[in-house]
Amino acid sequence: MRDKRTLYLVILLPFFLYPALFFLIGKVGQSQAGKMQQEKVTVLIDPALEQTPVPGLIGSDPSFVVKVQAFDSQALTEEKNTIGIRVDGNYAAGLAANESVILRITGDFSKDLLDGRKQSITGLLNKLNQSLLEERLQGVKLPPTFAQPLLIQEEDLAKPSQRIGKVLGTYAPMLLMLFIFTGCIYIAIDITAGEKERRTLQTLFTTPVNVREIIAGKFLAVACVGLASALMNLFSLVFAVLLQAKIMGGNVSAISLAVSAQGWVWMITLIVLSTVFLAALSMAVSLLANSYKESQSYVSPLMMLVLIPAVMAQMPGMELTMTTALVPVLNICLAIGAIFKGTFSLPAMVLVVFFALLYGLLALYLASHIFGNENVVTGEKVNWKLLRGRG
Amino acid sequence: MPASIEARNLGKRFGEVHAVQEVSFEVHPGEIVGLLGPNGAGKTTTLRMLAGLLAPTAGEAFINQHSVQKEPLVARRALGFLTGDMDLYRRLTPVELLTYFGQLYEVPRPELRRRIDELVEAFGIGDFKDKHCEKLSTGQKQRVSIARTLVHDPAVVVLDEPTTGLDIMASEFILQFIRRMARENGKAVIFSTHHLDEVERLCDRVVIIHKGRLQHHGDIDSALAATNQARLADAFFEMVQF
Repeated sequence: MRDKRTLYLVILLPFFLYPALFFLIGKVGQSQAGKMQQEKVTVLIDPALEQTPVPGLIGSDPSFVVKVQAFDSQALTEEKNTIGIRVDGNYAAGLAANESVILRITGDFSKDLLDGRKQSITGLLNKLNQSLLEERLQGVKLPPTFAQPLLIQEEDLAKPSQRIGKVLGTYAPMLLMLFIFTGCIYIAIDITAGEKERRTLQTLFTTPVNVREIIAGKFLAVACVGLASALMNLFSLVFAVLLQAKIMGGNVSAISLAVSAQGWVWMITLIVLSTVFLAALSMAVSLLANSYKESQSYVSPLMMLVLIPAVMAQMPGMELTMTTALVPVLNICLAIGAIFKGTFSLPAMVLVVFFALLYGLLALYLASHIFGNENVVTGEKVNWKLLRGRG
Repeated sequence: MPASIEARNLGKRFGEVHAVQEVSFEVHPGEIVGLLGPNGAGKTTTLRMLAGLLAPTAGEAFINQHSVQKEPLVARRALGFLTGDMDLYRRLTPVELLTYFGQLYEVPRPELRRRIDELVEAFGIGDFKDKHCEKLSTGQKQRVSIARTLVHDPAVVVLDEPTTGLDIMASEFILQFIRRMARENGKAVIFSTHHLDEVERLCDRVVIIHKGRLQHHGDIDSALAATNQARLADAFFEMVQF
């Protein structure tokens, strides 16, 4: 508890970071959106369109200032917040001849404000297009459905809880792996390479304590902090998402999950097993370093090893099979995803738990093997040739 | 009287390098034996084998008649070991550190409390007993380190360069304590140092190692006689062919 830096960084900071970050992003986003909504945009309309419904239609949106005047592209880019609408050919003659009249919306749409307003103008003109189409069909005595032989409608049978399960099942496993790993790695570095650097490890080895007990103690410390960090991060993230939804005016009470009691048991089992695996792996790798700084250089490659399978699990069509159940991290991510989506099966879970346990034990064996190395005991660089156990 | 420390034909090889070869010596209760040798001679490797930190590739080490290799936990229970490679936990106070190590050695709680009080008194730790170890001076840290080495009242004490980096007053304090520890409490002490004057003042016998091999094992007079020198420093230089 005296290592306040680790306590702040691994547990307290994430807990407050996400809500603070999401709140800030939400507030800034909201304020920006409001600001953009209030900002007036000038729409220059080709004089050829003066006698058409276009100026009135655009003017019906109070965020636009409509001016009927001739313009060129150069002028539009130089003028601030200005969009132009021009017509190719004769509007009235084109419509009368049942042709398509081309209306061009012109402006610098790399600007967020103008790009957004272009969408609004397109929406308004689409409405005009629809009413003109209906007029044409009426003129030839055809019903409005004539121009729409098929009316496609979607009917989603998924409950809101299933839809949330799909989103969580896709993203939560990767975030969980990331949180567990970041929770484990820094404490693992501190109590392995950090202790080597601070020259306290050798003292521990001269006491009448079995090496296995020393490893177990260190492993438990890493795993507990990793698990606590992951859970704090996850709760904080969920809280932040709900907070964000509330800020954006969403119905927070409607958000629910469809994970069964059995699903929760499997999920907790998988989280614990992944913590065992990542804690042991973090210890094994950081033991190879002689200093805190050196071990930090191992963090990025190790994080890649964890993140690549976790990202792969997000890919469309990636499912839990006999093959994917063999791949560390990927198997747990897919299994947790299946639990969230409510699509898990008992044999698949048993298989994943078996392999997750196997990999966890292998990682622990590797960590204890490296820990028992004489070079580690004496605080020196690990010699792979001398990787022999110590009782 | 059986030996408290026994190195029996100890040898250690790192790949093709023979760091220590056929080193044998004994230390009896109440004795202070100086372990001498130039840098890289194999002193630290020998001490690490005695502490069970390194497994010998030949021979065997005994602490209080217990084989360090076959009964490591029992042997380590009787050993207090301090080298320059060992530091203190920075975020603990001296009393917390002594309590932690006392518990690792399974010293019964009431005895541990009494023992810590004795060590705090003996090493003059009282003034800084509640300060974090990272805030202590080099001399204060060394006092706490030696107190940590003795917290379980071991029969055997191995001190590797315990006065390095200390001023003359702090060094004298440590030397006096080592002397009392052996003479009054009957502990067997191995004292490794580069300060030969300290060896002359303190040690009953000397073990000189050079290039991993034992060069001399006996009292200081025998070392002087064997080299025809009047001072231990000269005898030492002759033995290591300075």
